[in-house]
Amino acid sequence: MKLAREKRGQFVIIAVLLAAIMIVSIGALMHGAITYYKHEPWEEYSTLIGDVELNSRRLLELSLVNYTNSVVPDPNILGNNLEKWQDNLTDIYPSSGIVLDFSSSGLSQSWNPATKTALSQATADFTLDIKSIGLTGYKFSATISLSLRISVTSTNTTSHEITAAVKSESGNPVPNLNKNNFRINNATATAVSPFYDQTDILVYKIQYQGTLPATVEVWDQRGIRVVGTQN
Amino acid sequence: MRNLKNTKGQMRVIETIFAIFIIVAALYFVGIFAVSPTSPGYEVTDLEKMGYSALHDLDQQGLLASLVYNGNWSDLRTVLKITIPVDVYFNLTIYNLSGSKLNGDTQIIYGDSATFSNAKNIASVSYSLVGIPKQNPNTGKYEAKYDPRILVLQITRG
Repeated sequence: MKLAREKRGQFVIIAVLLAAIMIVSIGALMHGAITYYKHEPWEEYSTLIGDVELNSRRLLELSLVNYTNSVVPDPNILGNNLEKWQDNLTDIYPSSGIVLDFSSSGLSQSWNPATKTALSQATADFTLDIKSIGLTGYKFSATISLSLRISVTSTNTTSHEITAAVKSESGNPVPNLNKNNFRINNATATAVSPFYDQTDILVYKIQYQGTLPATVEVWDQRGIRVVGTQN
Repeated sequence: MRNLKNTKGQMRVIETIFAIFIIVAALYFVGIFAVSPTSPGYEVTDLEKMGYSALHDLDQQGLLASLVYNGNWSDLRTVLKITIPVDVYFNLTIYNLSGSKLNGDTQIIYGDSATFSNAKNIASVSYSLVGIPKQNPNTGKYEAKYDPRILVLQITRG
């Protein structure tokens, strides 16, 4: 009878010991997990990637501005800038082991008479490795563009109204353009007014006195230029 | 008979005390693992996160490049002061690729410079910019050159 009682006591101690082992194990496991996720500098990594991504896009913008505003456009400007950026990144972040590769890079200016749309565009695909954080093969693409679709309504032989739909790479209309952003046949547009449009949401109506065909140049706030000609 | 009952009760009490001791010991052992979040190692990491986030947010909003390339150092100090918490001091220096300091004698600083020499935990983050298109006031044409800037932000708590 006495022996049986003692065995019950041992069972309680064993149960409590097991509970204690569980507490210690779960505690250690949770501590490891929390320390890893809370104190591993994820934000630093994502900001570093964000910096490279954002400024690679900016470089496309810069190259497109240079290309579209030059009297003699240099088609190699994007490739040259990307090569410099690739080299300089290793100097800017020496301990990160950053390697940025690019492919399918290109600049273009085009006019499609069928859709009456002009397009200035820069594109590139990137692959980013950051050895210090074990990141390899992070891919991202960047496209920067400005498009212009124009239509001309003539009231008489010299008086015309040009309707211009200006859109960025997002497909959204570019707001806040004024007469300083437009030039018609090498002359500053005299009157430019924004209007709501059911198809394009926002269009600019330009009053133009002169002869046709009209060559319309537009600069957005980033400085990207696009040119369209309409009879 | 009465004596036997008393002994049985004592054993239960001893068992319970022993069990409580084991549980408390286990909890204490788990507590040893816990590291205070204000320890120096984590403090610097937190400051680095804050610095990177501040610069990246300003860059995404399109403010950083325009202030840096136009040399608006006082406006740059103001936007950083707004973005970074009040109890965090900062010192921003801007360099070009050849390593020349571009903000010259103008310090983009919040807090006493002695704070940085005396502080125990200082975080330093670097951030890069590629350039910004500028409109030539004479010709009206936009000019865009690849001209990187390296921003070095030192931050510490006051």
